[in-house]
Amino acid sequence: VIALSVAAALAVFLLYSSIAGGGTPALRPSSLAGHTGKVSLSGQVLKPVSGDAHQGGLHFRLRDVNGTSTVPVVYRGSVPDLFRPGRDIVVDGRLQNGVFVAVPGTMVTKCPSKYTPKKT
Amino acid sequence: VPELGRAALVVCFGLAIYAVVAGFWGAHTRRRRLSRSAQNALVAAFVAAAVATGVLLVALVSSDFSFTYVSAFTSRELPLTYKLTALWGGQEGSLLLWLLVLTGYSAAAVLLDRKAGRELVVWVVPVLGIVAAFFSMLVVFVASPFDTQLAAADGRGLNPSLQSPYMQAHPPMLYLGYVGLTVPFAFAMGALLSGRTDERWIVATRRWTLAAWMFLGVGQLLGAKWAYEEVGWGGYYAWDPVENAALMPWLASTAFLHSVMVQEKKGMLKVWNMLLVLLAFALSLFGTFLTRSGVLNSIHSFTESSIGPWFLGFICFVVASSILLLFARLPLLRSKTRLESLVSREATFLYNNLLLVSLCLTILWGVTYPILKEAITGESVTVGRPWYDFFLRVFGLPLLLLMGIGPLIAWRRASLSSLKRVFFWPTAFALVIGIVLIVAGAGSSLPGLIAYTFSAFVAATIVLEFARGTAARRALSDETVPRAFGSLVARNRRRYGGYVVHAAIVLLAIGIAGSSAYDTSRSARLAPGECLSIRDYRTCYRGVNSTRTSNAVETRATIDVFRGGSRIAVMHPGKNAYPVEQQVSNEVAIRSDWLTGEDLFLITEQVNGNGTIDFKAIINPLVNMIWLAGLVFVLGSVITLWPDAREERRLAVRYGRLAPEAHA
Repeated sequence: VIALSVAAALAVFLLYSSIAGGGTPALRPSSLAGHTGKVSLSGQVLKPVSGDAHQGGLHFRLRDVNGTSTVPVVYRGSVPDLFRPGRDIVVDGRLQNGVFVAVPGTMVTKCPSKYTPKKT
Repeated sequence: VPELGRAALVVCFGLAIYAVVAGFWGAHTRRRRLSRSAQNALVAAFVAAAVATGVLLVALVSSDFSFTYVSAFTSRELPLTYKLTALWGGQEGSLLLWLLVLTGYSAAAVLLDRKAGRELVVWVVPVLGIVAAFFSMLVVFVASPFDTQLAAADGRGLNPSLQSPYMQAHPPMLYLGYVGLTVPFAFAMGALLSGRTDERWIVATRRWTLAAWMFLGVGQLLGAKWAYEEVGWGGYYAWDPVENAALMPWLASTAFLHSVMVQEKKGMLKVWNMLLVLLAFALSLFGTFLTRSGVLNSIHSFTESSIGPWFLGFICFVVASSILLLFARLPLLRSKTRLESLVSREATFLYNNLLLVSLCLTILWGVTYPILKEAITGESVTVGRPWYDFFLRVFGLPLLLLMGIGPLIAWRRASLSSLKRVFFWPTAFALVIGIVLIVAGAGSSLPGLIAYTFSAFVAATIVLEFARGTAARRALSDETVPRAFGSLVARNRRRYGGYVVHAAIVLLAIGIAGSSAYDTSRSARLAPGECLSIRDYRTCYRGVNSTRTSNAVETRATIDVFRGGSRIAVMHPGKNAYPVEQQVSNEVAIRSDWLTGEDLFLITEQVNGNGTIDFKAIINPLVNMIWLAGLVFVLGSVITLWPDAREERRLAVRYGRLAPEAHA
């Protein structure tokens, strides 16, 4: 009984701390407008992909996975193996003057297969 | 041939349903023959599942592309071993494997533990039957591995990053663990249903829980090793929901393994143990659900998935019915004794449990919060590494410390003088190590420093325990030191095997702290002849070349590694391009220093047209301790699992009617 009550108290603390402290908003290109803070953006990579991720930055557009809104993205840093047009990716960053500037090295691909781990 | 597989599964489903109905009816009306027939139905269900698995394996090996499953996950040129392991490469096959392992475990549990109290086993059978019926229902009606199509010329092949020996062993290990937790759960429910709520169900399932727990642990370490070598971003664990899915039931069952000892010794925590075994089992279902239903991508893909809603429904059914049952039997679960002091072994177990469960629930929250938020507000969040790392420190470090305190502290109530006597040397040792580490510069990371000091403390208590025990045996029987040591462990397998597992956790903590708190990484664009220095290593890029193999173009950079003025290695980090799958994969190069446990980890991130490369070097100190911990973990688990005739006899005496061969 003592154990259960202590556990309940801990659970409440957890719920509180996670809502207060944890998490970056995860958005799609269509819902990006108006957010100025750091967010995590997911979408489908569109052709063409230009530039160099290790110099000036990789330039491409992201589109809603099941939609039409798009946003231009600049990304620097490690590019996952599975990155290519048509794939779904998630990347952290913030919107600056209509361009989504990504935090270097945060790109993660989402695999179409349910089985393969998504982290690359 | 697919008809045979399909028929076998239908038979399996029918048998499972029969086991449920006949099992409940037989147990309720106390008809022994009906109960016996339900048990046989479970064994027959295993045979049927084995036939179905056999059919699918034959199809995989013979590349029979008229099976949709075969053509989706293999191709003609795939090596034989990968054709076999494609059995768990996709959803349908994985479910079939779940069913096979489940019915196998059920048959073995029923046959081996038949004498562990008949009144108990007759109620266990229908519970196992319900779970088996659910999984066979899935493979019969929802996700059949025997769907057929017009035979294709060639299959789509297996994802190249999964073509690794670690990935061959990782999923079946996890399944052996996930499914293994069904057995203690079924016995717990059997105990509640039959009203025999003494600790007999715990004694009967101790080895099942331990085995499941060991497989889960090993499976996760194999997955970590795969991520480290194959995925190639320099780490081994990323708090990905798929990884968390396996960690949560492991944490819950770790808590369970510890708290059942309190019930065995003191008759306390009965309700708590029931809740823990329910939590562990529900989390293992939830883990399968997470990895299989696509709920992680978004809520929308979840509703499109064929098995997701079924799984969610089954989890709710299991949790709700178990809790109802638990409430109905609450009067039977009163503790015989009360907690006497907050400084005692019981109390330490309690703290350990609270910390483990808190950590487990925290992770659960981190996994489900984004899903719930998306379902309610339509906008999701991602819960990142820092959040998990924070809670791992908050709960993990005290756990590490408790691991040193728990085994030495007295039951019931510990006196101040005994505490002083027992803990003086370990504490002194830990403090000395701490000071040495600060001098050596480990103060750059406070959590790392604390982890090492605590590890030193626990290691000292473990060594002391072994030394004391050996000395005591020598005093008793005049044996030589190695013999005394051997017989000490052999005579107290649970206790000393447990210490070995604790030692493995210390190694793990050292490895994790070393590689996450003291790692270094540098990256640069290098032209041939240029070098990049990282700590005391110098890595020099010589050039790059490509070769064509049967299914890939392999590009490799040549890197000379210097240390202290002399060349110690030539390494070849590179990339493979797979034209058929239209995929690239990083092929990292790792050099392990076996003396210090340190890894030099090289990644060629990008090969440019003008011959330069974008290159990254990482130093992961002590990371090899993690893999070593895996071996020690298995050793310790096997020691505690090993059959012990003396223990059986003791239990037989304790429970009177219990026949000694019951737990062979």
